[in-house]
Amino acid sequence: MKRTALWFAALALGALALSGCGRDGTSPSTTGSVVRISQRNEPEDLDPALASIPDSFFVIRALSEGLVLPTATGPVPGAAERWEVSPDGTTYTFHLREGALWSDGEPVTAEDFIASYRRLLTPSTAAPKAELFYPVRNARDYVAGRITDFTEVGFRAADPRTLVITLERPAPRFLDYAASGPWIPASPGVVARWGRQWTRPGHHVGNGPFVLSEWLPNQRITVTRNPRYWDWASVRLDSIQFVRLDDGESEERAYRAGDIDVTLALPYTKLETYERERPADVHRLELGETRYLSFNTRRPPLDDPRVRQALSLAIDRERIVTDVLRGDQPAAARLLAPALLGSAGSGETPAGPPASGDPAAAARLLAQAGFPGGRGFPRLELSGWSATPVLEAIQAMWRKALGIEVSVSVREARVHVAALRSGAYDIALVTLIPDVADPLAALENFSSSSPGNYPHWSDIGFDKLLAGAASAGTPAQRSAFLFSAEKRLLEAQPLAPLYFNVKIWAMRPAVTGWEEDALWNRTYSHLGLGLPSGPAP
Amino acid sequence: MLRFIGRRLLEAIPVMLVIVTGTFFMQRFVPGGPFTAEKAVTPEVMHNLEAYYHLNDPLWKQYTDYLWDLCPKRFHPGELAKGLDFKAAFGVDFRPSFKYPNRTVNEIIADKLPVSLELGGWSLLVALGLGLPLGILAAVRRNTWVDYLCSSLAMTGICVPTFVLGPILVLAFAIHTGWFNASGWYGPIDRVLPCLTLGNVYAAYIARLTRGGLLEVLNQDYIRTARAKGASELRVVFRHALRGGLLPVVSFLGPATAGILTGSFVIETIFQIPGLGREFVNSAFNRDYTLVLGTVILYAAMIIILNLAVDVVQVLMNPRHKFE
Repeated sequence: MKRTALWFAALALGALALSGCGRDGTSPSTTGSVVRISQRNEPEDLDPALASIPDSFFVIRALSEGLVLPTATGPVPGAAERWEVSPDGTTYTFHLREGALWSDGEPVTAEDFIASYRRLLTPSTAAPKAELFYPVRNARDYVAGRITDFTEVGFRAADPRTLVITLERPAPRFLDYAASGPWIPASPGVVARWGRQWTRPGHHVGNGPFVLSEWLPNQRITVTRNPRYWDWASVRLDSIQFVRLDDGESEERAYRAGDIDVTLALPYTKLETYERERPADVHRLELGETRYLSFNTRRPPLDDPRVRQALSLAIDRERIVTDVLRGDQPAAARLLAPALLGSAGSGETPAGPPASGDPAAAARLLAQAGFPGGRGFPRLELSGWSATPVLEAIQAMWRKALGIEVSVSVREARVHVAALRSGAYDIALVTLIPDVADPLAALENFSSSSPGNYPHWSDIGFDKLLAGAASAGTPAQRSAFLFSAEKRLLEAQPLAPLYFNVKIWAMRPAVTGWEEDALWNRTYSHLGLGLPSGPAP
Repeated sequence: MLRFIGRRLLEAIPVMLVIVTGTFFMQRFVPGGPFTAEKAVTPEVMHNLEAYYHLNDPLWKQYTDYLWDLCPKRFHPGELAKGLDFKAAFGVDFRPSFKYPNRTVNEIIADKLPVSLELGGWSLLVALGLGLPLGILAAVRRNTWVDYLCSSLAMTGICVPTFVLGPILVLAFAIHTGWFNASGWYGPIDRVLPCLTLGNVYAAYIARLTRGGLLEVLNQDYIRTARAKGASELRVVFRHALRGGLLPVVSFLGPATAGILTGSFVIETIFQIPGLGREFVNSAFNRDYTLVLGTVILYAAMIIILNLAVDVVQVLMNPRHKFE
């Protein structure tokens, strides 16, 4: 008995000792003006050069800012207070704010920006989003290692407060690139001192409205007001907490329990309840993303445009967004989302499939392609990477309208993308997520040589139209080229646009000044807490 | 006993080698890589990324380089106490993570393992603290309402999975009454719900095993002898019967501890606990090759050591077993 007791005591002690290893923190505090935002993905890094997912930039944008800031209505001055564009549209001269400081008190200079960009473009840095610098002269060659002299790249500091950027060719959307996340600078001195660990709390230095005060990986990131920020007077919060929550369900539970103030997205199963019980909490934002079906054009019978058109026409997009998704997403009659095009999207739109579909025309086309009533049509596979009822809805629509059977399969995310890339699939549900509000970049995904050309569609005419847009002399010519390119794409139908994504999230009514654009870019300098309109539930 | 332990540890080396080799090559043959994303990167960028992580080297070279980094090169176990740094303690370098460029796998393990151990430790205490009394009570009051109550409680515990119990507890005690946070791992109060949830299932098993083991022993001759000598019921149960009756529980504790530590993923996800289980599962989704390998190796080592510990305890508890 004694020995037994001893062993159990040892076991218990062991367990206690192990438990002693844990960190003790404080629970999320709600005192002071704090907004707690759900962070669904852990940032890979808080280094603008090494981050790639929007979720990383959610935090980075609180800590630092680039030359211009993205807003829902287009880029606005950030670290640069103004800029000039040369008449030929190839040279941008940015004037930095006078007296702007890093959070360690050092002045923000044009050289700092150049050093940041140099580091990002250096091949050994392996920056995942270096692509967003390609409009700059010779940037792509520098990334590829074809030139090694950085002075040949189009960056120049005319004086400590003037940054001159030379482009490869006129790019009407260049400011959108300059507003993108990877263009946010990093203090060169700090990076040199700490290497890849410069983003840790205690090391991190930024030029944004907040400074990094806590980073508990996979748990919580806290940023607090930066008194050295040029516009610190308009910053209304003492701090922001980014609370790590894995999925929509735990996020929603945390919101209901009062642990967070802003969610990323409401699960669509909870949408109706929220709209009924707390409508003031529900927010919607149309995104620049398009959900589409990608047809593998290398595989018969999908190599026949009539088959692809038939499949696209048989889909009732209206029903998918109202009955299946229940989020009133706009049905997509074209590839490029209105939110992506902004003001340029007004005017003529390329004609795509009607929103409620045309089953009769679809059946006719399928018969012309040699499958009357769906007879003899092979059993294709419709795949996606997240279980969504959209796949089943489409399966049912095709069965009803065309008399064909497809099987639905849901794959793990990277298996799905690997299959898309290698062409080992039939039909797949894909999301087009542009990094910048540039229709040319979005369409270039489907040029013959693009790694994002999942339909594996190759059309010389389309490629020529894109090349024409890239070298167009005026914005009007460029728009005309892009319009024709999109039209050509929709006619050939290597893909069938379904709907444009809408972000639907929950946010407490007390939270004010939420600023977010259609591409997941947020800025926080005006975020605040209004007078509490009621106790938090 | 030392010889026994030494031999078992030596036997573990080829086992670990097989595990490392299998994991290393299997994950390379899984479709998709660490840089596969729906938004494709340009060829130049992909080339730079692969060069940075030495993915351009021949696979055999990547494998042997990795094995070398993994080989223990020094022995200062005292360093472990300073923050679980396996590099400082044994020279074992799990390399930088693919997903988190500014962190090494050693750091991630050092950061997350204590959380999982704490969660597991408390849960084990919950399991033993609930399971043993229930089991003993059921055995001693066999076939009475006490037994039926305890046994049904245990059965319910086994049948209700953690991913059902967890959200129910959150609903009842976090959202409804507001006594606890719905998620997180900040203060001591955040330990309550997850540890109850995780400990519950194991408590149920332990209760059933204790009852079964104890019943078997209570029917034996030596218990009758003890009773005949006039020993009190309390003395019979705790002094004579429990030692033999707990043997099944002890053999269960090895796999259970391993299960609690490695299987805490579900609990960590429900309650958003920053533990190693969540990192482990996410690393597989992220194709974070080094983090997958690092956690697999760690878990394998833990299971080997726990099994060894259970074998030792069993021999110490049962004189009929011998170290062999």
